[in-house]
Amino acid sequence: MDTVVSAAKLNSNEIFDLMKQFITEVIGEEFVEEMDITLESSFTKDLEMDSIEIVSFSEKIKIHFGEKIDFTGWLSGMDIDQLISLNLGMIVNFIEECQ
Amino acid sequence: MSKFLFVVPPFFGHISPTLSIGASLISRGHEVKWLGVTPLAAHHIPPGGEFIYPEEDLVEHQEELQRILKRQDDGPACSGPEVMKLALEETYVPIARIMMEGLGKFVDYWKPDVIVNDCISFAGALCAHIKGIPCVTTTPVPPDVMGDTANSAPKIFEWQEKLIKGLQQEFGVYTDDIVIHSHQLNLVFTSQEFAGIKAPLPHMKFVGPVKGRPNQAAFDWERLERSEFPKVFVSLGTLLVDIRAAFFQKLVEAFANAPLTIIAATSPDIFEQWPDNFIVSSFVPQAELMPKMDVVICHGGFNTVNDTFINGLPMLITPIAYDHFHTAKLIEDAGCGIKIRYKRLRIEDLKKAVFELLENPSYRSAALRIKETFIHAGGNEKAVQLLEEFIAMESIPTDF
Repeated sequence: MDTVVSAAKLNSNEIFDLMKQFITEVIGEEFVEEMDITLESSFTKDLEMDSIEIVSFSEKIKIHFGEKIDFTGWLSGMDIDQLISLNLGMIVNFIEECQ
Repeated sequence: MSKFLFVVPPFFGHISPTLSIGASLISRGHEVKWLGVTPLAAHHIPPGGEFIYPEEDLVEHQEELQRILKRQDDGPACSGPEVMKLALEETYVPIARIMMEGLGKFVDYWKPDVIVNDCISFAGALCAHIKGIPCVTTTPVPPDVMGDTANSAPKIFEWQEKLIKGLQQEFGVYTDDIVIHSHQLNLVFTSQEFAGIKAPLPHMKFVGPVKGRPNQAAFDWERLERSEFPKVFVSLGTLLVDIRAAFFQKLVEAFANAPLTIIAATSPDIFEQWPDNFIVSSFVPQAELMPKMDVVICHGGFNTVNDTFINGLPMLITPIAYDHFHTAKLIEDAGCGIKIRYKRLRIEDLKKAVFELLENPSYRSAALRIKETFIHAGGNEKAVQLLEEFIAMESIPTDF
């Protein structure tokens, strides 16, 4: 369950796996199967997440990591080109640094 | 009687409601013209009206204009922020720039009493501001599509302001105000309830759907009457040419020979053969057809959304890009339909959703509630009344 707030710090590989799990939960396994999710996968373009899916993805991060990681706040500070180029690697780095 | 100039973008969904209002204004004795950067076929123009296409002033912009129009095909493949950029930076602002010269010349020549600019045709309000002509804006989609960016995404807000102020300054307008929309009167073609806006600014007037634009499309009514099955209307609007075949392929897979009659508004040429229970036609008299339908499937083009709920029908909305997601959310909030995102559309879910909409009466009753709010909003009559009151107010001399 993703309601457990884990105390141990995760390394970047673990964060990446966790993000993949969240993405799968949000967009559905059969759509993920057709994708090759890597650190370079852009969030909106390659993963084709719409705003509602991004909101539920953000929720999962919040539930898992608690208040110490303000993912939504981080996103809302981005400009349009940063949002377009946002990829999974950037998210993994952000979470790793915030932990 | 007054002279109204509608300034419209090269997108039929935005032009359509202005044709309906224009027809009502003409019947009240007003003079009405439209101006746009692509020609509009004569059969769309209400009798007595005229469409101005300033061809000569567009010659030097033709290449850019064609590139902008072609670029719209990329919309469905774009992500949310990319669409925002495509729309504002690559479409609305450059089209406004392209339009200004021809528009300015025509306004000087015809001297309209009011300029009515569509919400994405910035040149209309900008030109009105520069020339001191009263201006009204028309908004065919639920407002608030981009959300409250000033608070939720300050850098996006900053980017929007910079683009718009940059455009204004190019034409010598150095105010800190945004003048690409009317601040006096904005006619919104939905209901406040459906748009989910609690406290709109006082100049935002929700008049609901409008009707009455000329539409002489022929239709095989006899074939429709012969069908004993529930009728499902499917439309993808006028844009989105590239994904048309893929979209209708899914429908064929889901509903070929199902106990339904599918009325598909698309060119029949996309497939060599259609199943027997599909009635396919490029142009349909949508307003007359809709009351005979049981369910509507569409991507969320706003005129089809309006035609659907003014008839109290439930909808399966398959949002693709642009404002479709916002509209889909409004439909889910109202309970009058089901949303399946186009990119996550599975044949099984498509079938399930359509039969759920047919069999579960809750969607239909929610759709009927939206219908009530649409009718209550007042439609053409209310829009014309607001426009006439606006002109009367504006023409009171202020220097006596």
